[in-house]
Amino acid sequence: MLSSVPQRKTWRKPKKTVKVTRSYPTVPSLNVWEEFRGLFPVDGEPDPGVGLGVEEGLLCQMVHSPEFNLFPESVVFESNFVQVKKGRNWIDIYKASKTMALGVTSSVPCLPLPNILLMASVKWQQGQTQTWNRPSTTPKIILKRILPLKFVELQVCDCLQRILRLRTVTEKIYYLRLHPDHPETVFCFWIRLVQILQQGLSITTKDPRILVTHCLVSKNGCNPSGDSKLVQKKLQASQPSESLTQLMANEESEALSRIFADLHQHNQFSSRSSKKTETKKDSSEKNSPSEDSIPCTLDLSWRNSFTCGEWERENPSGPQPLSLLSTLAASTGPQLAPLIGSFI
Amino acid sequence: MAYAYLFKYIIIGDTGVGKSCLLLQFTDKRFQPVHDLTIGVEFGARMITIDGKQIKLQIWDTAGQESFRSITRSYYRGAAGALLVYDITRRDTFNHLTTWLEDARQHSNSNMVIMLIGNKSDLESRREVKKEEGEAFAREHGLIFMETSAKTASNVEEAFINTAKEIYEKIQEGVFDINNEANGIKIGPQHAATNATHAGSQGGQQAGGGCC
Repeated sequence: MLSSVPQRKTWRKPKKTVKVTRSYPTVPSLNVWEEFRGLFPVDGEPDPGVGLGVEEGLLCQMVHSPEFNLFPESVVFESNFVQVKKGRNWIDIYKASKTMALGVTSSVPCLPLPNILLMASVKWQQGQTQTWNRPSTTPKIILKRILPLKFVELQVCDCLQRILRLRTVTEKIYYLRLHPDHPETVFCFWIRLVQILQQGLSITTKDPRILVTHCLVSKNGCNPSGDSKLVQKKLQASQPSESLTQLMANEESEALSRIFADLHQHNQFSSRSSKKTETKKDSSEKNSPSEDSIPCTLDLSWRNSFTCGEWERENPSGPQPLSLLSTLAASTGPQLAPLIGSFI
Repeated sequence: MAYAYLFKYIIIGDTGVGKSCLLLQFTDKRFQPVHDLTIGVEFGARMITIDGKQIKLQIWDTAGQESFRSITRSYYRGAAGALLVYDITRRDTFNHLTTWLEDARQHSNSNMVIMLIGNKSDLESRREVKKEEGEAFAREHGLIFMETSAKTASNVEEAFINTAKEIYEKIQEGVFDINNEANGIKIGPQHAATNATHAGSQGGQQAGGGCC
């Protein structure tokens, strides 16, 4: 471990192993679900997220370092990717020694979902083993950009090749292949993240730290000026400190309702989507509506075809997909256990 | 690389005035005529030397487009310097300076050094804002002023370095409390220990090591 590894955050992560005895059809890879079991750390044991390199990795260490000191209370979920481009096959754009660290975090730790995307370039020394958070020699890592997730569309592009497609609102598109040194489980985390960003979490508005008395998404036309304003005020009241994180959270909470409205519209990674469909989708995406739509458009007519998005449900009637990623859902506190139990 | 101080800069101004190009010219010494619209923040960094001390400039290049404005506001905090940029060939970008300045003053610390930059000085034939107007605006609002060209690199180095000099002078004068991170100044690792001996004394005392 690097000497600069920050102190472990006291973000309320589950400390007990959660037994998941029921699987859900909305989870992309059911057999992977089983792999997630036992990932939540037991007291005294190292966090498996750290072992997998998705937590407290190089990107996290950098943004939490005194030099940046960004989102210090928030966990960063991160992985290393190789930037590729489409050819007959996928082609690496840069040399093997250059990778991209991609991560998500929250401007305020208690936000129900990540709202920040971090991108950094990592240059490894010749022959250096690219072990993600315990390199023998620290590679050169440079934070390139911070993007509000509301301006980003993340999709699973090619499951077999473990490629994500990242598109910004300005139509900048990155194809990112998960680094081969990452185990399959890590890509499943990313699949799950994509799904969460598209569909939300049924538990998000139940987080007691988020003082939300209404759905985050207004029922009447997804007008963000309603409930989200209330959320903003309450967030301000509960966390009076002036900060980048607070300001961003205020903006993001308003934006979240929008992005989820739009992401529902895309709905490309629905519970019915198979891996095959995802791969096929990318090849035919030029004609798909998602390619033409910019994430921040607000054509909400499509919403009539949905009864209610997962994100909007305060009292879901049926089984809801839960995030088993302690690093992705800020709501995975100890109080989550009963919730999980009630759904299982 | 070790540094005595780190200064956080923010570059602000209307979309298309050349903020990202200024950054690229300063950090990479190159000009890219077509640049993707910035969203969120893009980072750049460069070491400079002032008064024999290595200073790292951590530069936050922000989005200028109105729709990203509310997000941009969140990045002002903790900036020691700001480059407020307008385009000398577009009068509207000059007219919007007051709004940018209000935003900057409202969301940043009061000691933040602001450099007003009239960019694209190479496009003299298309000039819409006289240099004197920029100077007058800067004088009226207590800013430093320069005209630059990211394309030809004219005055780009000077704009960034003069801002750093101004910040450094403020440190020397004790205006900036270098122990307060909200001021956008961090003491380098090798100076931190030395500086600790000065803790409790005036915050503006320069870090130990070196002359002056």
